[in-house]
Amino acid sequence: MTTVRQTWAVTRYEFRMQVRKRSLWITTATLAVVLTLTQGDRGPRHLPLGTPPREVMAGWALLMSILLPIGFGMVLADRLTRDRRLGLASLLESLPTGRGALAAGKYLGGLTSTAVPAALVLLTAAAGETAHRHDPALFAWAAVAFAVITLPGLAFVAAFALVCPLLTTAPLFRVLFVGYWFWGNMLNPDLFPSLTGTLLTPLGDYPASWLMGERALYAGTDGWLEFLRPEPGGATAVVAIALLLVLSLPPLALAPPLLRRRNLSA
Amino acid sequence: MDIQISGLRRTFGKVTALDGLDLTVPGGMYGLLGTNGAGKTTLMRVLAGVLPPTAGTVRVGGHDLATRTGRLAVQRRLGYLPQDLGLYPDLSAQEFLDYVGLLKGLDDTAARRRQIGELLDMVGLADAATRKLRGFSGGMRRRVGIAQALLGDPALVVVDEPTAGLDPEERIRFRTLLASIAAGRTVLLSTHIVEDVAQTCRDTAVMARGRVVFNGPVADIVQRAEGVTWELVGQGPPATGVVVSAVSRSDGTHYRLVSSSRPDPRAVPVQPSLEEGYVALMHAGTNG
Amino acid sequence: MKHLPLWRHELRRAGWTACAAPAAALAATLALTATAAAFGTPRPQLERILLTGLEALIPLSAGMAAVAVVSHDPSRELQLTLPTPYTTTLGRRLAVLGILSAALSIALSAALAVGGWWNGPGLPYAPLVWAAPLLWLTGLALLVAALGRSVVLATTTVAAVWLGEQLFAASFATTPGLRPFFLFMTTRIGVPTDWNANRAALATSGALLAALALILLRRPERLLTEEET
Repeated sequence: MTTVRQTWAVTRYEFRMQVRKRSLWITTATLAVVLTLTQGDRGPRHLPLGTPPREVMAGWALLMSILLPIGFGMVLADRLTRDRRLGLASLLESLPTGRGALAAGKYLGGLTSTAVPAALVLLTAAAGETAHRHDPALFAWAAVAFAVITLPGLAFVAAFALVCPLLTTAPLFRVLFVGYWFWGNMLNPDLFPSLTGTLLTPLGDYPASWLMGERALYAGTDGWLEFLRPEPGGATAVVAIALLLVLSLPPLALAPPLLRRRNLSA
Repeated sequence: MDIQISGLRRTFGKVTALDGLDLTVPGGMYGLLGTNGAGKTTLMRVLAGVLPPTAGTVRVGGHDLATRTGRLAVQRRLGYLPQDLGLYPDLSAQEFLDYVGLLKGLDDTAARRRQIGELLDMVGLADAATRKLRGFSGGMRRRVGIAQALLGDPALVVVDEPTAGLDPEERIRFRTLLASIAAGRTVLLSTHIVEDVAQTCRDTAVMARGRVVFNGPVADIVQRAEGVTWELVGQGPPATGVVVSAVSRSDGTHYRLVSSSRPDPRAVPVQPSLEEGYVALMHAGTNG
Repeated sequence: MKHLPLWRHELRRAGWTACAAPAAALAATLALTATAAAFGTPRPQLERILLTGLEALIPLSAGMAAVAVVSHDPSRELQLTLPTPYTTTLGRRLAVLGILSAALSIALSAALAVGGWWNGPGLPYAPLVWAAPLLWLTGLALLVAALGRSVVLATTTVAAVWLGEQLFAASFATTPGLRPFFLFMTTRIGVPTDWNANRAALATSGALLAALALILLRRPERLLTEEET
């Protein structure tokens, strides 16, 4: 119970510190506005009246997934490394709280604090669409789209964004992260062997395809690692979500020893 | 290098850190006392050219700090030890001083190296000259800090809370070092530790809430507590006055306190110390 | 030569991130090309990947590393009191980053030309393939960092612009107002007649952004907040 309580305490305060960051809100708002304005004719804003609300909100969730996780990755990149810079590492090492509870709390706090602005963006989009389409079910589908498209990707990004900088430094991670995001989510596998369109893409195109009832972006497109590119559908959407959540665990498992190495080095 | 400050204001948004401050600092070692948050660090940063004043004038050695040329002229003759001096952990003491020396314009390599050697010797770090700074203790870091401040033989040395957090022996060593460098230059020592000023400065200013509330010989501070310093033996502190010390003895706890009126019928007036003078000054009009 | 020791110090102060980022971009380019070759990607495609390393990856790494160079300095308060202006010191560190990026880019260009893999403009213009986007992304990164005093804002802006131009390359190529600021014209379009104008617009506006950032950074109080807000 003590570990759970400690993890909960770290989670709460990590969440508080994060949501108070001006840059988190400015970044989210800027990216959301830019994506809304530049979505083009095929964006969810231009779907004809009468389009099922689940398709509309899946479109919005997918659109926001293109860039919002980039901002969240940048925000989270220094959360585990900054304790030493701020002179808190020795204090944290001296506390009875284990490094596992600390890392888990920072992960959960970071995840929830980035999930809140992401959810607000989708609710705002739902509000805008409701004014246009007069269908309150859009709010319910916004919640579903958030849970199946946005959140699993965010869980995956948060785990790597927290832990990788312990190995690479935060600035270098930020460079690599942008490169990875393009290669792993949006680089057409026809042009280059990439993870785009596989079950491992945190962009959420498999769950989005399931909600939209048609192929979204590159989900299941032919290419490298064919076994990771099944036909999109309900079952493959569940598998994609599960895979993203499972893949979030190895970096989190590595966090305590990496933290120990970092905090105890001279 | 004298300092003349007139009507200095510095604000940060709605917070006023310096509120119409007037002060004249002659040459030699000069103390600047004040509680935490009194505005000392802001004043030090203004004097070092880091922060521009919001209003008022600051002239150092005749140079107006409101102008870029004035700031540069002062910075050429300034040695500054900030309150939280961050050091580059991957450099040795010698390398750090070499780097700062180059940024101070000491381009003659031989002269710079000679001066670095002398300064490291002076601050007692000659044996640790090639060790990486990341392994230095707090006292050693502070001594590297004063060595970098003295590079280039500055006419004005500004040191901000240099002894905070040091052990007594290191503090005494640091005070002696500061006193020894004051000959022929102005050294402005900002601190909240009364003892440091008492041991090194003849004159001092005391700041409170962004203003100077005292300016004069250190000895005069004691006078502020004469007639208002009391000793009382009892089981608990009195309801009025500011307790300066409490020593537990067999006959009860001996309290020394500053209060403008007798805090208890059993209290007896005593000869004040410098610390009590400082407390009386800071609480003038508010105690007992 | 009297400043040589100072440059040596600034090379170390720029930090290993500044040194490693362009090298990491180069290594990523080579690794991606090797991977593509292993999958039987045809040669013209491989040449384009190599050119993408020059035009897209190295400038991206330089922009991100520039934010790191200006955003953290443990001795910043002391630096601000020294007679050498801190903007000059930052300028030297950024120059170190620029020189390293340039050296790697020139080496890669030369190697491609010698090996017959060069697929860009004539060699006298080859430096503009990487220099123009590098200057623009770095200038943008510095300006946002100086304005927002936030590493997150600056790096996200660079990342979003970079990704945005990659994703919406067609729009940038066809919209007259955006075309002069299309970072990836060489790899996405080739060397059309307005290529020189595009490179000149990028380089000029990039230098302007960087100059604006350095002017902002001359106000020392803008630099005193170390912790991300």
